[in-house]
Amino acid sequence: MIRFETVTKTYKGEVVALREASAEIQRGEFVFLVGPSGSGKSTFIRLINREEVPDAGKILVAGKDVSSLSSWKVPYLRRNIGYVFQDYKLLPKKTVTENVAFALEVIGRPRPIIKRQVPAILELVGLSRKADRLPEELSGGEQQRVSIARAFVNRPLILLADEPTGNLDPATSVGIMRLLDRINRSGTTVVMATHDRSIVDTMRRRVIELDRGMLVRDESRGVYE
Amino acid sequence: MIFRFWYFIRETFVSLWRNLSLTLAAILTVAISLALVGSSLLIREGAEQATAQFQEGVEFIVFMNADALENQNEAIRKVLDTSPAIKEYVYVDKFAAYEEFRELFVDKPELVESVTPEIMPPSYRIVPRDPDADNVTELARQFSEQPGVKEVATATEAIRQIEDFSTRVSQALLLAAIVLVAVSAVLILNTVFTAISGRKTEIEVMKLVGATNWFIRIPFMLEGTIHGLMGAGLAVPALFVVDSKVLAYFQESEAVPLFRGFAVPDGFVWNTSIWILVIGAAIGMIGSAFAVTRYLDV
Repeated sequence: MIRFETVTKTYKGEVVALREASAEIQRGEFVFLVGPSGSGKSTFIRLINREEVPDAGKILVAGKDVSSLSSWKVPYLRRNIGYVFQDYKLLPKKTVTENVAFALEVIGRPRPIIKRQVPAILELVGLSRKADRLPEELSGGEQQRVSIARAFVNRPLILLADEPTGNLDPATSVGIMRLLDRINRSGTTVVMATHDRSIVDTMRRRVIELDRGMLVRDESRGVYE
Repeated sequence: MIFRFWYFIRETFVSLWRNLSLTLAAILTVAISLALVGSSLLIREGAEQATAQFQEGVEFIVFMNADALENQNEAIRKVLDTSPAIKEYVYVDKFAAYEEFRELFVDKPELVESVTPEIMPPSYRIVPRDPDADNVTELARQFSEQPGVKEVATATEAIRQIEDFSTRVSQALLLAAIVLVAVSAVLILNTVFTAISGRKTEIEVMKLVGATNWFIRIPFMLEGTIHGLMGAGLAVPALFVVDSKVLAYFQESEAVPLFRGFAVPDGFVWNTSIWILVIGAAIGMIGSAFAVTRYLDV
């Protein structure tokens, strides 16, 4: 599903974010990216959905070489990739329903489909009863659920999550991880960058560790370190 | 597709409303600058009409003495008919001259009463082959030396004056207009930029869920285009005011009788209005396109 072939990425030609990293992630896998700040986790994620372009190497996503993808095709690539942010990035003036519907509206999905899919996804993340609330009326965990609903409503092949529990307390984080696990079990490939040791150790999924841009460890049922 | 149409319209107007004060500033600047562009075009056209109407290319007029002898007239006519320097001419006899005089001073009956056809000078209105000022002056000098000629009036001086006047006014207006057009484009750019920065998160989310670049750009470009079009919409009535008040003032001016011809056909005002709308939309699109390509980074 995702393949990195000796990928190197530097910023401003100096700071090396990723150095000759190679990895292959199969369809339906759940992968933790771990490592200290600045080790290249975010870059790894941003390369997958073509927010960044590698300096060298090749990145294949769903069979397509995204490093050489022409820029007008990038939106269509991203329709297959959900993205969950650490800070949720919900639109403050839109309700929960509107926030989720927004993701479908802006890729031109017809209204009847939006009307059917949004309640279904809110049901999945457990927010049906808060569908008409504004983000500010929700707890952090609930806001992150909305963000996940928005990322998943289009049923992407891949879900990328950059520190999705970074702003949440441990108990709430567990709830979020259950949700991501459930999404993963439905066949979606999940790649999640995290600092959260206990989550990684509890879940026992594949772990890719980065250190100063080098891929230093890749274990199939790994722990944080 | 219909969903998208309403999406664009909604997003555009929400954004216009959100930045109301900047929106108004942009619209007014466009309106003022386009009103100046239009006025400049109207004045130029008015001058063209005025000078064109000045006896249809006639550059000078040979006035005969009212009591000029027939053989003196013969001599003049012979020169006019044979000279290669003369393209054509019209003879206006004393009765025709009297008619014209009456028409011209229809609102001054006491003046009309003071003259009779008998004392009106007949004249030759002459179109030279070469309308160059030096040439006209030389021809005029030659005719003024002929016997029976009362005087020779060249239109050159008058035409120069009116052209000079209108050129200076319309150029000054055009210069001010160009500066203001640039200012309004920058103002639209800024307004659209403000709209973009106010919606950073929204745009980021749109990009990451796979909205196409044009889908993200179109509402902002529509916003700029609407600024331009609304400004132009305000400038159009201003043009009609300029036409009916300012140009009309020239036409009624006592001091400069030449300006009587300073009229612009209605069709020209309408044509100019269409141009103004096109220019307005273009300013808006260009301004917002700059903002979108510079700050949207999609």
